[in-house]
Amino acid sequence: MENSIYVALSRQMAVQRQLDVVSNNIANMNTAGYKNQRMLFTEFLEKPGLHEKVSFVQDRAVVRDLQTGPMTQTGNPLDLALTGQGYFTVDTANGPRYTRAGNFRLNDQRQIVDGGGLPVLGDNGQPLTIPPNTTDIKVSGDGTVSTELGQVGKLNIATFKNEQFMTEVGAGLYVTDEEPQPAPADTKVAQGLLEQSNVKPVVEMTQMIEIQRQYASAQRLVDSEHERIRTMIQRLGRSV
Amino acid sequence: MRSLAIGATGMIAQQLNVETISNNIANATTTGFKKQRAEFQDLLYQNFRRIGSTSSDAGTVVPTGVQVGAGVRVAAVARVLEQGNLNVTDNKFDLAINGSGYFQITLPSGDTAFTRAGNFKLSPEGIMVTADGYPVQPNITIPSNAVDVAVNASGEVLVKLDGQVATQNVGQLQLATFANAAGLEAIGDNLFLETPASGQVVTGAPGTPGFGRVVQGALETSNVNVVQEITTLITAQRAYEMNSKIIKTTDEMMQQASQLR
Repeated sequence: MENSIYVALSRQMAVQRQLDVVSNNIANMNTAGYKNQRMLFTEFLEKPGLHEKVSFVQDRAVVRDLQTGPMTQTGNPLDLALTGQGYFTVDTANGPRYTRAGNFRLNDQRQIVDGGGLPVLGDNGQPLTIPPNTTDIKVSGDGTVSTELGQVGKLNIATFKNEQFMTEVGAGLYVTDEEPQPAPADTKVAQGLLEQSNVKPVVEMTQMIEIQRQYASAQRLVDSEHERIRTMIQRLGRSV
Repeated sequence: MRSLAIGATGMIAQQLNVETISNNIANATTTGFKKQRAEFQDLLYQNFRRIGSTSSDAGTVVPTGVQVGAGVRVAAVARVLEQGNLNVTDNKFDLAINGSGYFQITLPSGDTAFTRAGNFKLSPEGIMVTADGYPVQPNITIPSNAVDVAVNASGEVLVKLDGQVATQNVGQLQLATFANAAGLEAIGDNLFLETPASGQVVTGAPGTPGFGRVVQGALETSNVNVVQEITTLITAQRAYEMNSKIIKTTDEMMQQASQLR
């Protein structure tokens, strides 16, 4: 009998979580390599009676918008951006992690490391070390890193069959069980550029307004349902 | 509600962004200043429905889970070591480095600091010092009867003494480089200190491989591009505003929930 309240409640719960996702997008609108996220909803059907059907809503999935973000020029030779599909590979104690955030730098051993200090791996699975007394680091479109003394190595750029299977682990890194594939030929590394997040703030703002209104309308549904039940009890109670 | 905390992380991050930009703009005309840039990272994710979990007895796999991020944080304020422009001053003791390297300065404490700001002066004893009076390492003393001083690209200091035709070498400037110069610690006054992140100091003569050349009569300006800073400032301000809107929206939703009869 109180199903309608629960239906409205399922909407409110889902919308609240959607607001969390939108908030995270807005908070990360200036995070290099961040991918915008969208929540997907599905209907959850229940048949409490023989001819009855009640449909709830469920937040089913969060999908990433995999579009390339806009590029900004930074003037740092180790800021690398990927145009097209693919991920840089970094080494962690728990195996390789993948990232689109190319704000790299050198550490004290002259290894190329990411923003969190994790070494960026080359195609031989080893970190790339820039030889001492070299100042001119060049990264070509195919990911070959060289200095004035010659070639240092090649960045390992991996792609995956299903990028949605990749899990965010924070700090711009992704982890996946899938086998990495070599990057397609049209993926290019751009030096001195940084891929910005692909969050479109205006879209997120309108989303937020929509969320707020939907939350309020579900609230009104709960309110009026509550009112209806109360009136019913009062009227039926009076006639006794 | 989670979004309240997420909005707060966004506001905190943008505040630091604005602070970094402000410092860049404030130092737009500081000799040898290198601009800084705040870099952001997304925070941890909470899994409400794990990616790859099965959704039926038949082993159907959920293609995308429900993971909600916890906001943003500033991962680093990185220094951009791009070369600044060379500004010709025609002052004999203004030295600029074209390329990589730092001048070495002896602090009053005896420690060595590093700087790109080559606006040197002479002390009463004729020693080459910084604007604060700290001597350049290795010490270079200009004889009082010198009529002309020349510093060549490889850092040799040559003086012409009164009544002499030939120049005399009175010292050799040394430059310092680091494996990771971005890891140096700034201590203000245009000075930097060595850290574990920068790696060990490597010294060498200007012009040798890996070291920049010295340009006399010029100063390296800061590498701050004011137009770029202003546009980043506007972006940061808007981002701050939007994060505050998250908080406002969340607050209004919470208000509605609390008004339930």
